[in-house]
Amino acid sequence: MWKNIKNWIEVRIGLDELVRTQFTGYLVPKNINVFYTLGFVALAGFVAQILTGFLLLAYYVPHPDHAFKSVQNIMVNVPYGWLFRLMHVVGSNLIVIAVGFHLLSVFFMNSYKKPRELTWFAGASMLLITLTFCLSGYLLPWSQLSYWATTIVTNIPSALPYVGNIAVTCLQGGQSVSGVTLGRFFALHVVVLPALFLVLVSTHLFLIRRIGISSPPLGREGEKKPWTAFHHDSHPGGYPFFPHFVLKETFMVMAFFALMFFIIAFAPALFLPEDTNVPADPYKTPEHIKPEWYFLAPYQMLKLVPNKLMGVSLQIVMVTLFLLWPFLDVKKEDNMLKRRALFAFFVTAIIGWVVLTIWGKYS
Amino acid sequence: MGKILMRYALAVFLALALIAVAGAAEDHDPVCIKCHDSEMVKPAFRKIPGEWRQSWHYRNGVACNDCHGGDPVDAAMAMSRERGFVGTPKYREVPEFCGKCHIGILKNYLESGHGKALKASGRGPNCVTCHGSHGIQKANIDIINEQRCSQCHSYERARTMKQALFTTERKIQDIEHALKKLSSQGIYTAEEVKALFRTEAEFRTLFHTVDVSLVKEKTDDFVRLLDILQNKVDSLFVELRSRRNFWVVLMLLFAGAGIVVYLLAKTYR
Repeated sequence: MWKNIKNWIEVRIGLDELVRTQFTGYLVPKNINVFYTLGFVALAGFVAQILTGFLLLAYYVPHPDHAFKSVQNIMVNVPYGWLFRLMHVVGSNLIVIAVGFHLLSVFFMNSYKKPRELTWFAGASMLLITLTFCLSGYLLPWSQLSYWATTIVTNIPSALPYVGNIAVTCLQGGQSVSGVTLGRFFALHVVVLPALFLVLVSTHLFLIRRIGISSPPLGREGEKKPWTAFHHDSHPGGYPFFPHFVLKETFMVMAFFALMFFIIAFAPALFLPEDTNVPADPYKTPEHIKPEWYFLAPYQMLKLVPNKLMGVSLQIVMVTLFLLWPFLDVKKEDNMLKRRALFAFFVTAIIGWVVLTIWGKYS
Repeated sequence: MGKILMRYALAVFLALALIAVAGAAEDHDPVCIKCHDSEMVKPAFRKIPGEWRQSWHYRNGVACNDCHGGDPVDAAMAMSRERGFVGTPKYREVPEFCGKCHIGILKNYLESGHGKALKASGRGPNCVTCHGSHGIQKANIDIINEQRCSQCHSYERARTMKQALFTTERKIQDIEHALKKLSSQGIYTAEEVKALFRTEAEFRTLFHTVDVSLVKEKTDDFVRLLDILQNKVDSLFVELRSRRNFWVVLMLLFAGAGIVVYLLAKTYR
């Protein structure tokens, strides 16, 4: 029976050849490490977000009068609603961590270098999309914290001359965060961003498969040949993608979900502080409004720069540099440990980010 | 050179002015505080802003003008009678002054021995005698104590009443604590908090009758209401525990699957 089904498919799509060329015969470098699996971990996290998000969508009402109540309804009355909501909330935070570490490891291993500049650009854009997903999703429960955090973030562009106020009005749909903002953010969260994300992730995966997985500079055998014309970066003598690398990826995905359930079981309030449990009140400003942890560093940076326009401009420059970094770093050496200046910059940037995050949290 | 320096100085001045304006815009305190924080008023009045900032009223957004009237944003008209400024009430008028908001309590107080004494002689205890004024804190049963009550009469009656109130008061505190814990764990408890607030407010009005037999009689009703709330809170904790068990099972499942995959991967090496 099984053989017949397999044969039926084989005749039509050439399954054996597909498996051979795409999985068992597709080789990855022997010195590939666990950091190379983080992209797949993030992708698995996104799939979980889509599934849980779809279930939340069935009960969520994007209206200021009903949004908060509908979320509470999901948490209390909808069968297993709490399961999907907490997975969605904690999952979104863990994805930011996974994508962040993925980009850090790619940067450390200089895997963005020629011919992978576009792969980096698509990946870095996906980090920005992920953060926009988080920002837009944060408003949807229409809680006191989400309302005021969104008020702060959507007012940041007002520092820009000429276009600042137009940008704020576009984001908020008026002079302040209101039902119109909620509608816009909802549409962004469930339609625009998923579509953009799908395009970017497809491009990213296509480029990885087309060019081939990069070989880590640490522990590489032999010298890397200069890239003069396009060819698939095959790794003769490497491990097969399946089962070797797929098992490594599966292990990391299991660890990701085990960590997610650990946080939900033992620290359910880690990403849901008490103010998320209070309905939004546009007439009552909370005493201490802080953005989510992943925005704390830029938030603190904005506070430190005395001029708001300068602060916002600095951040725009930094994001642009981050996106276009492969086009600026033209040195051929791809071992970070042999590039002291870049290594020092890398370490300083990480320490600076951590310090600013802690400072932002307790300032 | 001089012109350039002047321009820089002007720019710095404008920037500082902008910062000052921005700082002032973020100050939400009523204008009353500015004078009462300064040497414009006599020393006894200067401690008022500090006491108010530590008070239960401050924490709940009750500002100077909510009690004393006047204009909280226009300094020139802050103490204008046209803007409803009433100033400091006379000793005898304090219950009506506070009773503008605490309506139920005013009624019970006026019918009590305390209220009748105040109205008859002008010397009975008013709200401020027990609760203080600007530094007012959340009321609790410890307001009834020998030191305070024995200033006017023997403590025996007050002690009996405090004993009658004690169990109910502790129950209220326990439920309040449990609701806070539930809220910190992501459970929305607004309905229960409202129900507790209602019960607590009615219970507080009972204090003010200073009628021991009435307190004893009504306590059973309050206990019944609080028991309903307690059961609801208990069932929410049971629900939370079952959810946690579910998450732990999922965590162990994924961790176990991870170990299996890891061992499988090792065999391929």
